[in-house]
Amino acid sequence: MGTALAIEHAANLDNLPRFMSFIDDACKRAGADEDTAYALRLAIEEVCINLIQYGYKDMTPGTIRVSFDQRGDCITVKIRDHARPFDPVQAPGPDLTSDAGARPIGGLGWYLVRRSVDKLDYRSDPRRGNVLTLTKRSARSRQQA
Amino acid sequence: MELSVKPAGNVIVVEIRGSVDGLTADKLMQTLTEQVQKGNTRLVADCAGLDYTSSAGLRALLGTVKQARQKGGDLRLAAVRAPVLKVLELSGFTSILKHFPDVKEATASFG
Repeated sequence: MGTALAIEHAANLDNLPRFMSFIDDACKRAGADEDTAYALRLAIEEVCINLIQYGYKDMTPGTIRVSFDQRGDCITVKIRDHARPFDPVQAPGPDLTSDAGARPIGGLGWYLVRRSVDKLDYRSDPRRGNVLTLTKRSARSRQQA
Repeated sequence: MELSVKPAGNVIVVEIRGSVDGLTADKLMQTLTEQVQKGNTRLVADCAGLDYTSSAGLRALLGTVKQARQKGGDLRLAAVRAPVLKVLELSGFTSILKHFPDVKEATASFG
């Protein structure tokens, strides 16, 4: 038994709450623990913000499709878009150690996505678009592993 | 997100409730910056009601702490809840932002 849901909206900031509410509701329906729900909300926000502000910048506005699939203790979230390809796995790591005065403002988004999920996979196809797959296991399942 | 600003002696306490995200972080940054520009550089962010932040919220906090310290003050956090604290820790923010169990201790830390 599992939960499979999907939404698609135009890639603009006004729709950000829709994507976040979608993940909140899907996590509730799937019975996800609080840590998992927070992590996925954070990951979706960071991914959508990046697509809206950078991926689709100077392009014809496109859409973001988010799907949620839960099987047992594992949740898979796929984000599909037709924005400029960008592999977040290759995004540079942030400065986590400088003092406040020297610490750059920004650069944490993709890092937080990577730390929020158990697995990140990115595929880009010139015709079919980009697919970012986030895999998250429940806190209970991570403790047992 | 809801914000309220109240003085506590020579410190300004900014209560942050709800969700600080890509849509609301600018309002937080604006509120904190206004205080620093008024010369209120000793700031406490009361996070007891803050249930979510993304990197957008972290940018607002870092931007404010830089401004406040440049003017001889500081931004200190109070009553940060576990899920938000985890994001601060992951991001290396607990080494640059002082945080306290409650507003009373955070306010008293300014002396």
